[in-house]
Amino acid sequence: MMREVLTFRGKATAGTEFALGVAAAVVVLLLWEVVARLEFVAPQFLPPPSKVIAALWTMATTQHLLWHSLISSLRVWVAFLIAAAMAIPIGILMSSYRIVGAPLEPMIDFIRYLPVPALVPLSIIWFGVGEETKIFLLWLGTFFQLVLLVADDMRRVPHEYVEIAFTLGARPRQVMTDVALRSMGPNLVDNLRITLGWCWTYLVIAEIVAADSGLGFVIWSARRYVKTPEVMAGVVVIGLIGLITDQLLRALHRRMFRYL
Amino acid sequence: MDYLTFEKVTKRFGDVSVVSESSLAIARNSLVVFLGPSGCGKTTLMRMAGGLDTPTTGTIRLGGEAIAGPDRRRGMVFQSYSSFPWLTVEGNIAFGMRYRDDLHAHQRAERVAHYLKLIGLEDFSKSFPNRISGGMRQRVAIARSLAAGSDVLLMDEPFGALDALTRERLQVELRQIQAEEKKTIIFVTHDVEEAVFLADRIILFSARPARVIKDIIVTKILGATRTLAARESQEFFKLRNEVLHLIRKEAETVR
Repeated sequence: MMREVLTFRGKATAGTEFALGVAAAVVVLLLWEVVARLEFVAPQFLPPPSKVIAALWTMATTQHLLWHSLISSLRVWVAFLIAAAMAIPIGILMSSYRIVGAPLEPMIDFIRYLPVPALVPLSIIWFGVGEETKIFLLWLGTFFQLVLLVADDMRRVPHEYVEIAFTLGARPRQVMTDVALRSMGPNLVDNLRITLGWCWTYLVIAEIVAADSGLGFVIWSARRYVKTPEVMAGVVVIGLIGLITDQLLRALHRRMFRYL
Repeated sequence: MDYLTFEKVTKRFGDVSVVSESSLAIARNSLVVFLGPSGCGKTTLMRMAGGLDTPTTGTIRLGGEAIAGPDRRRGMVFQSYSSFPWLTVEGNIAFGMRYRDDLHAHQRAERVAHYLKLIGLEDFSKSFPNRISGGMRQRVAIARSLAAGSDVLLMDEPFGALDALTRERLQVELRQIQAEEKKTIIFVTHDVEEAVFLADRIILFSARPARVIKDIIVTKILGATRTLAARESQEFFKLRNEVLHLIRKEAETVR
């Protein structure tokens, strides 16, 4: 085991990889614990991980942490699904027909570079401080990115596949459903997974600005009283949700595209 | 009898002339090789027969009827991306039949079985393309066109990416398939040896813009049946060298 991981460009078994990953995390946590306990840094800046875990437990048992997580997840998924439901057909049409692509591409490219936080005030003027604002901001952050990714996935469908289908008697519609969608499938699902991750980034911004629920709100209110362990616990929860979702989507990807 | 005809066909892409006026008549049930220097426009001419490009002037006809666009009577086999990776071997072969409502389920199954056997991949029917060799993938592409009911196979350097031995085997197999299935094949290549071994007839093209510079009826010289032994015959070498000289001279004119 030692040899293979020390070899230049060597390979390691899945078990070894996993063990090394866990070991590294444990080492980092232990170092952190020691540094924090010795109070090299004031505890309100760097609480030890044990305190963070304790805070996590208190928050889960007495402060509705699960409910806040659920609210946040719901916001992310609603906004993400709306963005995906719009971006997939529009992106496909953009790269398939120039009449759709040529007018939309410059506009989307421009909006894509607008920072989401800069649009928070406008969003509040338009939608108030309710759920609409949060969904809008999340949608804003994902739709314009995703639509270009989808268009690119479609563009990268090998032209040979399209021409083969035509010479086998398919019509444009059938080429779209039977060939283009199938061919872009793996990349599309990958891009959806990545964009979902970005959605979580914007969630915190949306919830910090205008919310009385959700993980962003939890983190932001804990900060007000300098409850650093709670702040860290909130961040950890977002990280865990992200990690689990990502792994689930990767597993789904493997199941859906066994031929790869 | 003339089956596939090119009548005064030209092709320009913008300012670039790719095919200069070419007229050709191809007989049914023959294997015709388009041979020429790389980038000479022979592929474009074949693509126009497939309906994938439109001639700038002139007409291409199949059985007297002008070709207006792609359809299943003329199937393409490309060098790469030739089979759909998300379908199994049998899924690929059956693919074209989903656009035919004149076939019953059992007829489809029979056709799949027939073409699987023809290309010798019965044992790989449930395999996905990335689990089989490059040569097998090209066989699948051929079978898929035939199963869909193509009368004409248009092959664009289909064996170009294969190793020498596999390539040789596929050349032999392609001639067998052509004889058994009685199809018309246009085969584009820049490999002289491949052209001479495969062809009933070689159309030799000039450097771009493509123009027919020589029309060689290979069957008159090498006969209709080709075995690997034929590859080592005097006649084969003689013809190969002759064609090689012609194509070299042509390639030099563009330098």
